[in-house]
Order: sequence, then C-alpha cells, then structure tokens
Amino acid sequence: MSVGSYRFQSGVSAFFEMATADARAVLPEHLEPIEVTHQRSVLSVTAFLFDDSVVGPYTELMFSVIVPPMVAEWGQHAKAGFFPFLAATSSAEARRIKSERFHFPYHPEDIDAQFIETDERLRVRVFGGGDPIMDLRVTPGAWKTTTHLLQGFMMNGDQRLRTTLQISGDYTVHENEQGEMKLFPHSMTASHFLGEVSESPFREHWFKNGTETFHKLEAF
Amino acid sequence: MEDSTVDAPPAAPGAMEYDYTNFYFGSGSDAFALLEPFDDWWREVRPSGYYLYELPMHSQPGTRVDVEDTKTGEIRRGLVNFASYNYLGLSYRPEVKQAIKDAADVYGGGSSGSPILSGTTALHQQLADEVAAFKGKEAALIFPTGYSANVGTIAGLMRSGDLIVADQFAHASVVDGMILSKAKSRFFRHNRVDDLERKIKGFDGKKLVIIEGVYSMDGDVPPLADIVEVCRKYGARLMIDEAHSAFVYGETGKGVVEDQGLDDEVDIHLGTFSKSLGGQGGYTAGSLQLINYLRGFSRSRVFSCALSPVVVAGILKALELARNEPELRTQLWDNVAYMQKLLSDAGVPMGDSTSQVIPIMVRDDTRVLQMCEDVFREGVYINPVRYPAVGKHKSRFRMSISAAHSKEELEEGSAAIVRVLQRYGVCP
Repeated sequence: MSVGSYRFQSGVSAFFEMATADARAVLPEHLEPIEVTHQRSVLSVTAFLFDDSVVGPYTELMFSVIVPPMVAEWGQHAKAGFFPFLAATSSAEARRIKSERFHFPYHPEDIDAQFIETDERLRVRVFGGGDPIMDLRVTPGAWKTTTHLLQGFMMNGDQRLRTTLQISGDYTVHENEQGEMKLFPHSMTASHFLGEVSESPFREHWFKNGTETFHKLEAF
Repeated sequence: MEDSTVDAPPAAPGAMEYDYTNFYFGSGSDAFALLEPFDDWWREVRPSGYYLYELPMHSQPGTRVDVEDTKTGEIRRGLVNFASYNYLGLSYRPEVKQAIKDAADVYGGGSSGSPILSGTTALHQQLADEVAAFKGKEAALIFPTGYSANVGTIAGLMRSGDLIVADQFAHASVVDGMILSKAKSRFFRHNRVDDLERKIKGFDGKKLVIIEGVYSMDGDVPPLADIVEVCRKYGARLMIDEAHSAFVYGETGKGVVEDQGLDDEVDIHLGTFSKSLGGQGGYTAGSLQLINYLRGFSRSRVFSCALSPVVVAGILKALELARNEPELRTQLWDNVAYMQKLLSDAGVPMGDSTSQVIPIMVRDDTRVLQMCEDVFREGVYINPVRYPAVGKHKSRFRMSISAAHSKEELEEGSAAIVRVLQRYGVCP
C-alpha cells in the first residue's frame, strides 16, 4: 500500500566514500554499512526538487549511509538500502508529514536549495539561514527511463522500521568521477560528519521528470 | 497530487537492471535465504547474456579456439581468440607440451603435499631459482596461484596497526590480502600520486604501497618514478604485482620495473605464470631475507598443496623460451600496435591502454552482454566486463593480444568487433 507519492523535476544521488568506522557511528546496531572497498563505506547525498506533492512544490536534502537491502524474494527485491541520518526540506509541512510517517531525522529549520541544470551537469546549491551548506555537481552518462526499488531503514525510538521506495523516471548513472561536492561549515551538518568524506563522488545518479513513491512502513 | 493509497506491490525493474551485488545480503536467519531469489534472478538473466561467462572451451587457448555455445548447444569452431592471457603463445608450444609429458612420466600428476612438507620437488626448487635469476633478485617463492601469491605475501608481512595503501584498481587478491592482514587499509585514486601522498603522509608506523605493472581491466601502467619518490619520502615499502607485465615488458622481460628503469627501487615483485608463460601459479621475488620470512608466514602457500610438478615443468620450459626468444616480445608489441591502429582508425574507444590488454569501451551496462553475444556469433571470442568488475557505465570488452596472432587474425577479429559496435552506435 502506497502512502505517499511525490513527483519530481530533478533529483540527484551522489555516492561518496567514507570511513566504515564513521558510517557505523551513525548507524543503529542492527544495520551494517556496505563497503565499496575494504574499510570504506558509502555516504549518499540526495537532493530532490519536487514539483508536485501533497504539500505542493518543495526541495529536500538527505544524507544517508548505504546499507544492504533485505532480500526476501526475487521480484520484490530492492537494489539498495539506505539509512538516512540527516535530512532537511524547504517546507515545514513536508517535514511534518514525512517525520510522522517515516521518522526521517529532519533538521528543524527550512533550507533553500537551488537546482541549476545544463546539458552537461546538475548543480545543487543548498543554503540554511542564508549560509551555504553544500554545493554539489553531478554529470550525466547515458539516459534511459527506468524504475528503482530501494529500501529505507528508520528508527522510531527503539523500534526498527523499513519502507520500500520506488523511483521511476529518466535516469543516468556513471562512475567517471566528474562530479564534486563542497560541504561548508554549518550548524546543520556540524555534529554529523565525524571523519573524512571524499570530495568527488565515485558514483553519480541523476533523475529527471519522475515519481518517488513510498510504500507501507513496516516494523521488523 | 493527491496523497495516494495504492494496494499494488511495488513494480520490480527488469532483471538486467540487477547484478551480483544485489544478492549479497538477505533477510532472515537461514544461511540459504539468498539462494532462491538469486536462482530465480539467474534463470531470468542467463539467456540474456550471463551465459557468456564460463563457456567450455574444446581446444587449446590458441589464437583460434573452439568454444561451446551453451545457449544453442553448438560448438563454435575457429573463433578468433582475444579472451586468453596467452600473451606469448607459449602454453601450447610443442616444447612445453613435451616437457609436461616428460615430467608426468617421472613425477605423476600431483605434488601430493604442502611445499613446506613433501610437496617440493627438484623442479619446484629449480623454478624458484630460475625465477629469481630471471628477475635479478636474491630469491623467489613459488605459490599455487597468483591469487595466493598476493594474499600470502601481503598477509604474511603486514599486521594489525600497520598501513597498506593500494591503487583503487588493484586486483581482488590484493584487497583480500589487505583484509586478511588486518592492517589499516586505504586506496588511492587510480594512478594519482597526489592522492597516494595524501593517504600515506602523517601515518607513523609500518607502511606498504601496492601497485600493479599493467592494470588488468584498463591496460594502463603506473607512473612508477613518482610513486617510488613518494614511498621513499615517507618511508613506505613498495610492492608491484606484475601479473600482466612480467615476461613481456622491458628489454629482457623483467617487467614494467625494467621498462621504466626502476627495478632496484621496488621492494617486492609479484607475478604469475598463468599469463605470459601460459601455465599456472604465482611467485614473489625479492631479498633473501624477505623470501625466508614469507616462507614461514605466507599461510596461503604453507596450507596449500604445491603446484603440480607437471605444471612446473611446463612453466620451466616456457620461461626458457621467453628468455631465449626476445623476438616473441617484439612480435607482441608489433601486434599490439597494429591492433591499436585498426581500432583507432575505426574510431573504437580504448581508454588509456598502452599494453597488450586493450579495453574496448562499450559503456552500456545493459547492452554489453548482448553486444558480446553478437561478437561471439560473428566469430570472435572476447570477454565482456561489466559492473561490479568495473565501475557503473564503464562496461567494456577486454581484449588480450598475443604474439601468436597473425595479422589476418587481428584484421578479421577487429573487423567483426567494429561491425557489431557500429550496429549499436558505439563507434562511427
């Protein structure tokens, strides 16, 4: 049962290496980080420009650690799992709804995200209280229309939760290391990054003109 | 948009959107929980191209091969072979075959023991001595595979609390050796010396840097002089895996270290017998002290059966031929240059390769298997490589050139590949 659909104009998910020890520090005990190489885990930085949702248009930024999806049977098989440990939106109402439904860990203040798109790149500049938080650029590979199934893992107190997330739309991915990210000192991120995060994403995902649909939240 | 409540389960994307990495973890407490979903996926994707892996060969790995098409049940005969590592064409030379037969008469099939117990024959000792002499080192140690040479050398030398920094494209056996060693492990960006320096500086303790002579998926070589400089600056030992470059690079075939004039600046030299010499097994060469230490602490060697003496006899003969026939290397490099020209003239993207390993960059993770199947049916045997063996959107065919290829075979093979790439719009 779907409990929330969000149509987006642009979306980006960039994967960066981070120390596995740092990844473990933000994960609950029952989740293990996926390692891209020995002792190096994956930080996913995701930004979406939603142009239609129950709260109207808004932007969202999310930092997650990539974790294994829980495979049950082929056909309902998520390609990846993620545990969001920091999220922010431009809409207090969107924040309220997703916090109640999915227990995402939202920063309590609004952000302002600018999506600047050309054929060669998508640049996402994020500000909070007028100060820069992040400047992210990704580049395209070959475009195709596709659907991804992902699993999101959340905590509500001690309760372990998960949801399936379906993203459909135009999509490109590559590992050509052409993107970059700059994180600025900001109160939103200050207490969350404990170690070194690479500046260049090893994988760049870029979505356009699609829909993000959350399915039923389950306790496990 | 309304807040929808849809009862339908999420729609799964196509099977070819998935790969092995998607079946690494699963739910539940049964250790077999992943087997069924993996099997369901595998049955779906196998006919779409995954069957191209592990096709049984019905001939020697020559420049033309007979390969079983497991999709149709036919044996495809006389395919131009760009899939085998037989860079000098030695595995099937009559002299090598005769040496193998002669050894079988004396020693039988297997060595029947660990190298530190009963498994070392006079042939094994002779091979270790000859490899050391060929490499110009004090001593060498023979391992049952190249994989075990890396694992055994790295884990035999490095300990918890030490630091190992390897090129990000280093072979899986290097990574597994790093994991087994329990040392702190870091990876620097491929061939980026500035990143190597960033990863190594400031560490106070034992340090080992690991690179390869020729990188197996890209066919490029390391900037050895700059890497040596960083290692010396920070007091790190340097190890090079010359699996794809020993016996073919350098004036006498010692490898990339000889080719770049830095043979004595590298501390640990690894290689295999399965590539240029067409045999099996691996070696580590270096100082006598290093080899004596590894003899005691390389668990992958100590706790494996020694190489079959039959195989060792074949390697010894192949090494003799490689040493005495430098024209083989000349022929190989002529063939590499000719193939690079053929592909370049046709506008085929080849990455940064400068070696006999030529990546043909398809960059289409979904269609690379389909393209490879078409190439197979056009009469060419070549291996497809896709994620996770290489990065996303970096799918390719990996072409191995041999000194034994004739000009006609290179032309026939490249023409078939170009025809297929043109059909898919990969080249003009």
